[in-house]
Amino acid sequence: MKPKISIQYLIPFVCFIISPLGCSDDFLDKKPQGNLIAENFPVTAADAEQAVNAVYNTMRISEFNFGLFPIMDIMSDDAHKGSNPGDQRSTIGPFDNFTHIAGAGQTRAWWNTLYLGIKRANVVIEQVPPIVMETELRDRFIGEAKFLRALYYFDLVRAFGGVPSITSVQAPIQQERATPEAVLTLIEQDLTDAIAALPEKDEYGASDLGRATKGAAHALKARVHLWQSEFSDAETHAMAVINSGKYSLEMNFENANSKIGEFGIESVFEVGAIGEESLTNGGNQYANVQGVRGNPNRGWGFNRPSEDLKAAFEPGDIRLDATVLNLGEVMNDTIVIEGDGTTPDGPAKNSYTYPGFPDGIVEVEAYNQKVWTPGINVPTQFGHNRRIIRYADVLLMAAEALNENNKPGDALTYLNMVRDRADLEDVTELNKDLLRDIIFHERRVELALEGHRFWDLVRTGRADDVLEPYGFIAGKHELLAIPQAEIDLAGLEQNEAWK
Amino acid sequence: MPMKKVFTYLIFMLLPVLLFGQERTITGVVTSSEDGLPLPGVNVVVEGTTSGTVTDIDGKYAIPVTDENERLVFSFVGYKSQTIAIGQQTIIDVVMNEDTETLDEVVVIGYGTIKKSDLTGSVASVRGEDLVKIPAVSPMQALQGKVAGLQVTSASGSPGAGTVVRIRGQGTFNDSSPIYVVDGVILQDIDFLNPADIESIEILKDASSTAIYGARGANGVIMITTKRGKAGQQKPVISFNSEYSIQQMNRKIDLLNGREYALYVNAYDPGTYNNPDVLPNTDWQDLLFSPAPIQNHQVSVAGASEKIQYYIGLGYFKQDGIIEKSNYERFTVKLNNTFHIAKGVRVGNNITVTPFKQQNTNGNVVFTAYRALPLLTPYQPDGSYTEVPNVGNPLADIEYTNSFDSGVRGIGNFFGEVDFLKEFTFKSSFSVDGKYSKNKSFTPVFFVSAQQQNSENDLTKNFRDDFTLLWENTLNYNKEIGKHRVNVLAGYTMQDTQSEFLNIKGENIIREGDDFWYFNPSNINPTGIDDPNDVDPKFYYSMLSTLFRANYTYDNRYLLTATYRRDGSSKFAKDNQYASFPSFAVGWNIINEAFMSDYTMISNLKLRASWGRLGNEKIEYLKQFSLVDNGVNAVFSQSEVLNSGASYGVTGNPDLKWETTTQRDVGLEIGLLEDRLTAEFDYYHRVTDDILIPLEIPGFLGNGVGAQITFNAGSVLNKGFEFVVGWNDELANGIKYRASVNGTTIQNEVLRIQGGGSVSDVLYGPESLTISRVGEPIGSFFGYQVGGIFQSVEEINQFPHLDGAEPGDLRFVDINNDGQINSLDRTVLGSSIPDLLYGISLGASFKGIELSLDFQGESGASIMNYKETVRPDRYNFEQHALDYWRPGSTSTSEPRAAEGGVNWGANDYKSSRFIQSADFFRLRSATLGYSLPEKLIAKAKMQAARIYVRGTNLFTSMDFTGYSPEVASENPLENRVDRGTYPTTAIYSFGLNVTF
Repeated sequence: MKPKISIQYLIPFVCFIISPLGCSDDFLDKKPQGNLIAENFPVTAADAEQAVNAVYNTMRISEFNFGLFPIMDIMSDDAHKGSNPGDQRSTIGPFDNFTHIAGAGQTRAWWNTLYLGIKRANVVIEQVPPIVMETELRDRFIGEAKFLRALYYFDLVRAFGGVPSITSVQAPIQQERATPEAVLTLIEQDLTDAIAALPEKDEYGASDLGRATKGAAHALKARVHLWQSEFSDAETHAMAVINSGKYSLEMNFENANSKIGEFGIESVFEVGAIGEESLTNGGNQYANVQGVRGNPNRGWGFNRPSEDLKAAFEPGDIRLDATVLNLGEVMNDTIVIEGDGTTPDGPAKNSYTYPGFPDGIVEVEAYNQKVWTPGINVPTQFGHNRRIIRYADVLLMAAEALNENNKPGDALTYLNMVRDRADLEDVTELNKDLLRDIIFHERRVELALEGHRFWDLVRTGRADDVLEPYGFIAGKHELLAIPQAEIDLAGLEQNEAWK
Repeated sequence: MPMKKVFTYLIFMLLPVLLFGQERTITGVVTSSEDGLPLPGVNVVVEGTTSGTVTDIDGKYAIPVTDENERLVFSFVGYKSQTIAIGQQTIIDVVMNEDTETLDEVVVIGYGTIKKSDLTGSVASVRGEDLVKIPAVSPMQALQGKVAGLQVTSASGSPGAGTVVRIRGQGTFNDSSPIYVVDGVILQDIDFLNPADIESIEILKDASSTAIYGARGANGVIMITTKRGKAGQQKPVISFNSEYSIQQMNRKIDLLNGREYALYVNAYDPGTYNNPDVLPNTDWQDLLFSPAPIQNHQVSVAGASEKIQYYIGLGYFKQDGIIEKSNYERFTVKLNNTFHIAKGVRVGNNITVTPFKQQNTNGNVVFTAYRALPLLTPYQPDGSYTEVPNVGNPLADIEYTNSFDSGVRGIGNFFGEVDFLKEFTFKSSFSVDGKYSKNKSFTPVFFVSAQQQNSENDLTKNFRDDFTLLWENTLNYNKEIGKHRVNVLAGYTMQDTQSEFLNIKGENIIREGDDFWYFNPSNINPTGIDDPNDVDPKFYYSMLSTLFRANYTYDNRYLLTATYRRDGSSKFAKDNQYASFPSFAVGWNIINEAFMSDYTMISNLKLRASWGRLGNEKIEYLKQFSLVDNGVNAVFSQSEVLNSGASYGVTGNPDLKWETTTQRDVGLEIGLLEDRLTAEFDYYHRVTDDILIPLEIPGFLGNGVGAQITFNAGSVLNKGFEFVVGWNDELANGIKYRASVNGTTIQNEVLRIQGGGSVSDVLYGPESLTISRVGEPIGSFFGYQVGGIFQSVEEINQFPHLDGAEPGDLRFVDINNDGQINSLDRTVLGSSIPDLLYGISLGASFKGIELSLDFQGESGASIMNYKETVRPDRYNFEQHALDYWRPGSTSTSEPRAAEGGVNWGANDYKSSRFIQSADFFRLRSATLGYSLPEKLIAKAKMQAARIYVRGTNLFTSMDFTGYSPEVASENPLENRVDRGTYPTTAIYSFGLNVTF
């Protein structure tokens, strides 16, 4: 008997068969909620500005500052690890006597952060050009991004040598190291473009103070050329800053780095910050890492000024007091620096061994006064604006380049501008070699604890002489090791001396 | 009547009647031995013929017979068949005994049911009555130690706390929880279900049984069938259950008292306490914990008519915590109906509505009380709280914490079923799972000490809704031809899941009372909270699936199952959205072979094997995208203005695809002595490949410090044996008794972590407390191995040591033999995954009195006593610290007295000193019940009445110094890390069950 198929039996079948067809692929399309995806950003002028601002943000990430701890000064004769003897002894301590290793977390963090900045810059450089918007503003945005990309790559190439040259947000995951020359060429081209595109400092509105300027780009380019001993180009760009007439020295040396002097006349490029502990809310941990430890509780007390640095100041140099914050000092009229209870107050030998100091090195609890911000708590310390380039540095770069270019008279002019402010007598030395040493010494005391000393020693070939007693090995420690993780993960080639 | 019709019809269809000459008619009544009630629908057949009938609604039958030598066979599903010689009788009344054999049990499987004898998969069944034995929010609590292969761990003892459930090990680095299928609705948890509403739970373990759930089946499936009115149950059954329990701490951590603490401090800081004998002594644990009640009440009505089967259940559960300001309260409403609207056409609903309320006490208070110094009195003479340095006063923590959760979970399932063309059934099922919940927390202004104070009151509210729609359509084909039995299932399903949450914070609420816990423009703080409005990236997705299954049985001997499911998920990019999950299984009922008839002792023997691929899609759908980060701000201008910024965040991986588990299973089922002795053995082997794990990537990709990208980069193996052995018998004097033992071995091993190219090959847990690397179990504890205590300066110089090591310090083993102790010497110190789970269940009953005992245990796992580590300041110590090393003593386990430092795990020097055995053996439940005699209760028109007393967690044997080694986290990378967990308790209950 054949069963009768009636319509009521067919309905389920029909439902069953059509239901898959009733839904297109859209059913499986779920977009992220409340989040833009990279494909949809940046597409407007407002997006472009946000993308540019993000490139600046990188400079407030704590690891941008030499991997959180100001390792660059600790790796010089100007400073020691600091803090109490135990804190970060095994992580930061090795940078004090050049026993650091390729696996050090700090250098990796620094590397990663610099490349984060480069990625953000690449977003602007690559994605902003097609945006329909005011041409002048668009060019400025791209100029700002190129300036910052150059700044980040310059740190990388100085610290690590040739590094992967990433100029696109779509970079392949497998990379090799570019040559140092190639990286420097990229930096110089970016700065040339930035100089062409960026306005002078006073062409920005007050609300944009802190953005990259033509002057900053010239100054950075001078620094890049000086690094390569290209004195003619260095002179050109340093003089471009000087001749722009937009800058001069603060009357009071202290204000070159202080709260009062923020975005002041001497500031060529600095990192704006707000006194909040959160990065999102505008804080920068740079000063907190070095801030007074204990009482008042401003920070961790790393990057302790060395006795050697203190001795380097000429008698009567007012900069010593403004550079080193000693126990017992009274800041802002009322704040007594008592310091940390677990750190020896007086002269005490630190626990590291140094090849050139068989009896060890004596430290005295003291702090980097250049990062002082008025206040007694931690958040206020996050409001310090780190000066990346200040006019005194430009003057000394000019002096150095001019001397090398056989213009000692002009060199003395700019050198003595810096010395005058420090209440020191003019230098009159015209002998090129002697003047070179004088300028070099001036750089040390003027720019102490601002992260220049190590680079200056390396680029002038003085590092082995000066740093050998601390454990520096010529031919090796001019560069940091490529972070071990990059070698393990990506197979990058290690610097020869670090293999 | 309909039952009779159906059965008559069936008999008529299947057994064409051939009638011989009628001589006489045998009549009789068939009743059940269980309750003495008539049994309708019992098959009555003349042995060796096709002549037969079925009993009517009153259990009566009449059957013509021709010969006094003939015998009648009485059979009915769920009862033992009886064969009775006719002889001269004309009236044969039969009492049918329930069949305790499990062979013909019907087992619930995905999208259907199957006779247990036809089953090729590994499925464990638990009856509803076993689920009400533990007074807890979640029915899963009752399954601890009950099922081979199933590990249920309480996340904590706090009221309303969930459970961590694992089937056959830890399958992935991601969410390894099984899915739950309640009356056909796929869910992520069943904490909203009242255990009393559950008819049965089946745990689907192997690929054959879970593959029908494809992408959701990798970590097992737990099928829940809730109660319905039974067809033919014309008289409504009204049940009332009431239970009252008291929870009590039955274990304290052995901490130093005030005097001992003072002596210890004096040992490293002499003279701190000049007269230890006169110091106060506070036992913070006594102040923190106090006995607390649980109430649990249900009433239900179930019944059926020709057209309707119905079940209505109402439950109330309230648990107070043993710590102040923690409690949980809920109502459960259950409504299950089936309407027979036409012949072969059914519609129905399964509805659950669960409103709940919960108060959470300070989450850190157990840890705070653990650390608080014992020589401080809790209160000052003026009644204010005493300052407890470094940790805060735990009692003040409780007073100033106000956190409330509330919400409602509602699940509605509506289905229609049509039988057609005899062999086909089409079912369409539409389900809505909605949950709305909120949390409100308020911290008033208070001052206990500089460290423990709040200068501005604050109010936080989180609102969250989760919403899932599920539409499933299945077509079922059943056919039996001769010795061939075929069942084919095909289906199509769609699911859409969404969630949204909103967090709001306010400050300076004008008054502190809860009448004022509302926001207005003057108190709201828009920058106070991260992620103020977002979706849960784990619960925002859609799925499309097709499914297929064929079961074939030949002659009740050879079984074959093939399953195939194809799932599409929105969680992956277009090219990887779809994946297929096949499985195959075979079974051999050896017992039904002719050659077995000689072995009368053997009542069941079955061999089965399965292979299949399963998926896990419980991953965050956002990992495929490169998102734009907001809040990447810059500061410009002298007036320090924040300029908002945005840029590309961590790069997504659009190539992500499904995690796939390949599982093999071989099982053997044995029944001996008429199934009085039963045993089931399984070997399982599960390999999960393409596990999604976040791995480190080269920094030059520009994702920042510590950035990770998720890759399909891991493989994990779980393998082991499961066994269940049971004995069930009744003695001649009427004593029934049973005993069963189950056990599971687990070997968990990471087989691979590698994304190919530029990614790392290990995975660390938070604070590097655990490591996952090839050759070790997932989330193995990681740190320094203690080799002993340095007894002297000479000994220090003999061994590699840390700078500044002193006699009495821990000696860490130089694992890599490089002559120094550094981070490269950290090693695996233990696993959080046990290698053996076991349970023992004993029961006996006699004349209405019944006694049951359930034991449970685990061994082979370790636990980290994290709360003992990390001591930057002075905290109380556990008792063993008093055995500290001192010159002249030779302690090899307790270092010199000190309040912190490396010996106590400071500066990432976590060591084996803090790793303890997590082995335990526990009397999980002991029940003594008494059912009142029928005579007595009949007067009250009751069908049954029972009273009982029960103890839960009465006794635990363990080495761990904390409250319980059951400290579970859903994150396998930080499982069994005891940071001061809310303790589980012993529970004493008294209850009453009445049925009308």
